[in-house]
Amino acid sequence: MNRYILTIFGLLLIIMVQVSFIKNETTSKEELGKLLFFDPVLSKDYTISCASCHKPGHAFADTTAVSRGVSQKKGSRNTPSAMNVTLLSSFFWDGRAADLEEQALAPIENASEMNLPLPDAIRRLKNNKRYYRLFDEAFNSEPTAKNLAQAIAAFERTLETSDSPFDNWKFSDDANAVTDDVKRGFALFNGKAKCISCHFGSDLTNNEFRNIGLFNARNLNDSGRSLISGKKEDAGKFKTPGLRNVAITAPYMHNGMFKTLREVIDFYNDPGKVVPNGINRDSLLARPLDLTAQEKKDIEAFLCSLTDKRFHKVAERK
Amino acid sequence: MAKLMLYSALMILSAFIGENKLIGRWESKPSEKGNVTGVVFKDSTFEGYVNKKPFVSGAYKLENDIFSFVDNGCAGKRGIYKIVFFNDSDSLRFEPIDDPCSDRRNGMSRLILGRKK
Repeated sequence: MNRYILTIFGLLLIIMVQVSFIKNETTSKEELGKLLFFDPVLSKDYTISCASCHKPGHAFADTTAVSRGVSQKKGSRNTPSAMNVTLLSSFFWDGRAADLEEQALAPIENASEMNLPLPDAIRRLKNNKRYYRLFDEAFNSEPTAKNLAQAIAAFERTLETSDSPFDNWKFSDDANAVTDDVKRGFALFNGKAKCISCHFGSDLTNNEFRNIGLFNARNLNDSGRSLISGKKEDAGKFKTPGLRNVAITAPYMHNGMFKTLREVIDFYNDPGKVVPNGINRDSLLARPLDLTAQEKKDIEAFLCSLTDKRFHKVAERK
Repeated sequence: MAKLMLYSALMILSAFIGENKLIGRWESKPSEKGNVTGVVFKDSTFEGYVNKKPFVSGAYKLENDIFSFVDNGCAGKRGIYKIVFFNDSDSLRFEPIDDPCSDRRNGMSRLILGRKK
């Protein structure tokens, strides 16, 4: 009898614990978006989630030049960081999405990424009891393409970082938060190296499209912005990326052709030496910067100071 | 001794006459996109932040509420604004006098900051 009572009590306890977990489950748009971001349910063969390419440990960027989608299909451009996107005015390297909601849906349907038509994605979510309930809680609605986009975008808007040594130096006025090489690097960034001309702003991008000389219509044949605008003069232009956490988002550029920050700095120091036949390179990069070895180190130190403290262990391993 | 007293008195007087109402930390009201913070230092430099992220830095001159400055965002172009203080000088806004940098002019013309105490 005692054993019987104990068994019943144990079962009740298990049920109560499960119910309490269910009750604590996600209800906000942000939390729902987070679940969706990490769930391969949005890819054709259930193998790829947003997080497969936007890796949390690398500031939600990828570590390969271009990412692989379903069936190991190779993409054509480097996966940018999904962090610090709240203030951006366009999305993707060519700026084809005007807002984060539009951006959030595109990889789901892209044949080289998740390759799942949106109507199929919505059908899956509607047929999933848990998601059906969570959408109802978050949006008072069944899953739709609109609220799917809103949920993922809401989660992405939570991915802001503002606790790097650079932030502590500037915002908290803590002169000891960074070393002297970082301070010299910041001065070079604003001066001799001219980085600030394009990387101005709280996330270190002015949201413009620039041709830095990585288009030669031969082996470098991605014409970037012109594919969207239809303008010949936009050939070779790409969106200037933000630089927060840049030290942990290698490789770099729209095609991931540079493996390290040092390679990037060497390129900007003398672009013609690295890509001699770039078409219509921006006039800002017309002449070599003539940076010394020490100046290059200082700029790299400044860029590393933009890594949020939550990633410092990743940065130390690099 | 008299010389020293005269010098001290002049120092105190000049501190009051040249009082820079701008020095300190200023903040906009939070909006959907976040808020702007400005810190104006005694050494004629300033820093601007969006959502606690460093955004702009520069050097300024202030004469009769005319704020003239150069920052790191507009290719060295100088902006000149009249500062309109209100609420017992605890709030301010900027009226453009001359600024060839249109993005900056648009941003600053909309900005209202309150003194952070």
